[in-house]
Amino acid sequence: MFEDQFVNESMLDIFIFETSQLIEKLEESVICNEEDNRYSEAQINEIFRIMHTIKGSASMMMFGNISELAHAMEDLFYYIREEKPVHMDYSALTDVILACIDDIKLEIEKIRNHDKADGIFRTEIEDVKKLLKRLKAAKDGKDKAHHYQVRLFFEDGCEMENIRAFSVVQRLKEICLQIRSIPENPENSNESTELIKRDGFNINLETEHSYEEICDFFRNTEFLRDVDIKEAEEENEDFRLKGLPEANTDNKWEKKENREEGSISLQQSIISVSVNKLDKLMDLVGEMVISQAMVIHNPDLQGMELTNFHKAAGQLTKITDEMQDLVMAIRMVPLSVTFHKMHRIVRDISKKLGKEMQLKIIGEETEVDKNIIEQISDPLMHLVRNAADHGIEDPADRQRSGKPRQGTVTLEAKNVGGDVLILIKDDGKGLDKEKIVEKAKSMGLLTNQERDMTDKEIYQLLFLPGFSTNSEVTEYSGRGVGMDVVTRNIEKLGGSVSMDSTWQQGTCVTLKIPLTLAIIDGIQIKVGKTYFTIPTIAVKEFFRPDKKDVLQDPENNEFIMVRGECYSVIRLENYYHVKEAVKKIEDGIIIMVEQEGKSICLFADELLGQQQVVVKPLPDFIKYFNKLKTLTGCTLLGDGNISLILDVSGLF
Amino acid sequence: MKRVLIADDAMFMRATLKQQLAKHGFEIAGEAEDGSIAVKKYKELKPDIVTMDITMPVMSGLDALKEIMAFDKSAKIVMVTALGQEEMVKQAVVAGARSFVVKPYKEESLITILNKLL
Repeated sequence: MFEDQFVNESMLDIFIFETSQLIEKLEESVICNEEDNRYSEAQINEIFRIMHTIKGSASMMMFGNISELAHAMEDLFYYIREEKPVHMDYSALTDVILACIDDIKLEIEKIRNHDKADGIFRTEIEDVKKLLKRLKAAKDGKDKAHHYQVRLFFEDGCEMENIRAFSVVQRLKEICLQIRSIPENPENSNESTELIKRDGFNINLETEHSYEEICDFFRNTEFLRDVDIKEAEEENEDFRLKGLPEANTDNKWEKKENREEGSISLQQSIISVSVNKLDKLMDLVGEMVISQAMVIHNPDLQGMELTNFHKAAGQLTKITDEMQDLVMAIRMVPLSVTFHKMHRIVRDISKKLGKEMQLKIIGEETEVDKNIIEQISDPLMHLVRNAADHGIEDPADRQRSGKPRQGTVTLEAKNVGGDVLILIKDDGKGLDKEKIVEKAKSMGLLTNQERDMTDKEIYQLLFLPGFSTNSEVTEYSGRGVGMDVVTRNIEKLGGSVSMDSTWQQGTCVTLKIPLTLAIIDGIQIKVGKTYFTIPTIAVKEFFRPDKKDVLQDPENNEFIMVRGECYSVIRLENYYHVKEAVKKIEDGIIIMVEQEGKSICLFADELLGQQQVVVKPLPDFIKYFNKLKTLTGCTLLGDGNISLILDVSGLF
Repeated sequence: MKRVLIADDAMFMRATLKQQLAKHGFEIAGEAEDGSIAVKKYKELKPDIVTMDITMPVMSGLDALKEIMAFDKSAKIVMVTALGQEEMVKQAVVAGARSFVVKPYKEESLITILNKLL
């Protein structure tokens, strides 16, 4: 195993980097090609090469377990490459590769966190070897492998028939090369219990053992009322489940030009740069934009005749603008990688839950800031899971309501103004408004009269912490932690989440995300001699107040009536102890800000305008002051003044 | 005579099992009232077969099963479970439990299982 002193850290970094890249490419290409149910020759070669590389570097780094697993895979693909077997169960092959990818990923993650990479992959390696054995057996004229069709009934009253069936399959795995059962994965639902009771448990198996030995196996299985074992013909249709392609597979090995392009290629004219350096560069460019404004609008220049200066300044502005665009562009990463990860989730869920669905991706080339990509990956995964798990119905239900059996989850990204919209749509059953309202009532969350609530408001309830209408927890969702976390994560990025749904037609969740974190749109205000910036996204309206609308309670808290509604007023001068501010309410201005449906009014001296600002973090020592927790950061204005950026959510 | 280790936290269940097994000619090698004792006794007594309750204090039957399987790959363990514990049973099967009975089970079915496994 890996001993720290033997391994140079940077070597380890390279190993981690290269291996994870290889693995990710591999996963993407495997998932993309699963639908085609075939692997091109180039891909087989590529997978072989990747496994070979991983085996080599892992053993160099003394990660024996990874190397061993990769070795088994390499053997398998060596065989496939050399022998080009005709009868290939691509779906089983994909399962094996994906399981292996997951294991390696897990180990790499452990290594990255400086944990011991101690995973033991005995079963996985067994699986790979078994598959290889099966392929070889198929090649050798199939004389060794026997196919049997078994139907068994359990004794009445033995209980947990589904788990019993699962147990039988588990033990059969030890002596069989391949097993298919109906129902597939009986342990996952209680409905299969009924099915097994009624129709029996059907198993198709492929094994090297003789009929007699298989009979013995079932003779020694307890709680069986009735067993029927038939030796199946090799060409039996039942056995040839949809994963197995027809015998005429010659063309599958033909090289197809267009496929070649899509195959995994690691040669790129790209270098990788540490994100820290990019962050620094971004900072510097921000600085430069500010300094430039300070030079060009320098008060010393006022009243001077500066024709040539302005010409030169114009040129400088043009270059800094371009530079700013470029730096932003460097940090921009297309959403495609994040989007394609979802293929895997949809695939796993549909396999596990027996649903039929596809993932449609639109606008994957849309780019967002690298930091944002990292932050939206988890929420996105959650939303896709929700859509696939709760949204899409079972194929039978879909057919009954006149929809195609296969459900569709659509991931769409597009640019709208300075924001990126990400839509997660499904054509499933939609949200049940009554159920949501009922649940909210039982949780005591309902403040408005329910008949007054708009659809949007009802859907908004789903974002409250701990809210889940799914009473049954599945492996994938329904634990009540979820939508609120999604919202929190997205709001942390300055974005927002909204939801729309049509009963029986589907649900659409929209994430609105700013293009970049470092620059925001803000409203500039002034209180005394202090400048503040309020993120434009939080501002609902501003107006000059009328004295007669302002009320005071006995504790001197101020309120203002706006269109019959009462809002509390926060005077920023008092809140931040600013001197020389406007005292009379009719001389200042009210800015109404909104956060999660609640509004309050801020009172300031004057409004300066709206502009994009570069967000700078506050130094740590300032952050410790309590009141300053309501500040997200500061920014430099063109005239050299510092403006404090308000964190509106902190004011409530 | 085949030797059985009974692991169950309920005295009533242990007494019932003891009686049923004795009637059919099994020798009670020992009893354990929680999972960790079951593991200890298994190593000490080397019984031919174990009946293991799933929910027990200190160490669950599932964990005890895993420990015993790690100690002796060929251990024969029958889980004793109740309806509603499907998930646990599934894990037990994966971990190597040879079979399971669901309470309330029929005396003869338990005996049949034990005889088939031995």
